Amino acid sequence: MANDAALPAIAPPWRFGLARSPWLLAGLASLALLAFWSATGTTPQAVALLWKWLPALLRGLWVNIEISVLAVALGTIVGLVVGALLLSPAALVRRIARLYVQAFRNVPLLVLIYFTTYVFPFEVQLWQWRFPFPDWLKVVLGLALPTSANVAEIFRGAIQSIPSAQWEAAQSLAFRRRQVLRLIVLPQCLRRMLPPWMNLYASITMSTSLASLVGVHDVVDMAQIASNTVVRTDFTILVYFTLLALFFAYCYPIARATRALERRHERH
Amino acid sequence: MSDSLLVQGVQALKALGLNYAFMLDDMERQAFVRGLGVTLQLCLLTIPGSLAVGVLLAALLASGRAWLAAPARAVVEVTRNTPTLVQLYCAFLVLNMLITQQLRDWGAGPNPLTPFIWVVIVVSLHKGVFHAEALRAGIESVPQATLEAARSLGFSRRQLLARVQLPLAVRFALPSLVNNLVDLVKMTAVASAIAVGDVTYQSIMIWSQRDNVLELLLLILLWFGLLTGLVSLAGRWLEQRMRMPGYGQ
Repeated sequence: MANDAALPAIAPPWRFGLARSPWLLAGLASLALLAFWSATGTTPQAVALLWKWLPALLRGLWVNIEISVLAVALGTIVGLVVGALLLSPAALVRRIARLYVQAFRNVPLLVLIYFTTYVFPFEVQLWQWRFPFPDWLKVVLGLALPTSANVAEIFRGAIQSIPSAQWEAAQSLAFRRRQVLRLIVLPQCLRRMLPPWMNLYASITMSTSLASLVGVHDVVDMAQIASNTVVRTDFTILVYFTLLALFFAYCYPIARATRALERRHERH
Repeated sequence: MSDSLLVQGVQALKALGLNYAFMLDDMERQAFVRGLGVTLQLCLLTIPGSLAVGVLLAALLASGRAWLAAPARAVVEVTRNTPTLVQLYCAFLVLNMLITQQLRDWGAGPNPLTPFIWVVIVVSLHKGVFHAEALRAGIESVPQATLEAARSLGFSRRQLLARVQLPLAVRFALPSLVNNLVDLVKMTAVASAIAVGDVTYQSIMIWSQRDNVLELLLLILLWFGLLTGLVSLAGRWLEQRMRMPGYGQ
């Protein structure tokens, strides 16, 4: 059939696919250009300046990564609890959990970050000790709230996607409710939750750029400092597009892995 | 009369511990109301803008020609995997600066592109990409058998697209399109980052004077809740209207 004949062209062996990836080729080409510049001593001034600022930018990116990891870790823990409450047999509990999820899914992230930054105090007093409550931690909380609401929805969706026939079959085999959940439902759920959870992680990582607006020294803030310190048009262009490239380099592999996982699940 | 109503309302809320005194100051109240309007305008412009971008990109992606699809694919990947704020900075701080300089060199007068227009452009492009992905998935989920049946009934390629493929694809894509639009409404808050006077920006201005963050946040949440509610209501209405027996629910 025509479709079968066309198949090898659409799906080449993976190693050729990787070698032909436009992103890899673009990266190699720019590396070659850099090597040529440094070998011939004709590196443009803006690139040389960028090289000097790159460690600072990477330190800024590390702040973003830390914020995203902490926010998603915290949000996942809370989200799993809220997700379990969404499925609770008690109607009142269900309704309260529903309200929580609705509220935090419908708030703009930026507004939440402003909220946690300006409403929470700058230090917390517990008995006689005072703990500082830095801005980056407030951003973590601001991002953890919508994460938890989304994780709750992902969890609920995964549990409900398990056919109810499996519950009945397991019950007829004399499994208890807890056993069904632990041995049959949850293992399948984890696999189904992984791709949307990774998507969520990538989108929270991108949202950490909003931290720069409340004065956290993240990579966006660092780019602005660099651009304002150097004051050269070509450097400003370069530094902002480097910013774009840094986020892309971190988030694109996650997106690729997510898609690969989704495709593998489709086949099973 | 409405003034006294406002005074009474503010006093009633004050009894609850909420400080809405800014509502009684003409300047601040007008600024806040203007902010509500700007956010509404942003939504009204970016919704059709993003849909247009989405349709265009989806057409390129589904065209079947590699030289059209590959650049569109690259745009989609870059836009999906970078933060909107950084895109906005790249557009407003870099492109806008270059345009301003170029216009000055040509002696063509001031730059006509305001921060507001840049937000509309960037948010439209950003969400357009997500629309394109939804539409492409919709086009792909039209069953092959339906297309074959239409072909065997003598539909030309164009007729096939216009009469069979697109009507079904839009129906399949509608739920995720509405989801994207809800996201888009929330995303307009990013306009405050480049000092477009939207509701978030005006609120920051007010609460830095009066220290009433919680009160203003409640108002912002109500406004965004109203806007997203309207969008999802319209989406549900459209889904109902376009429902075809035998497809989906």
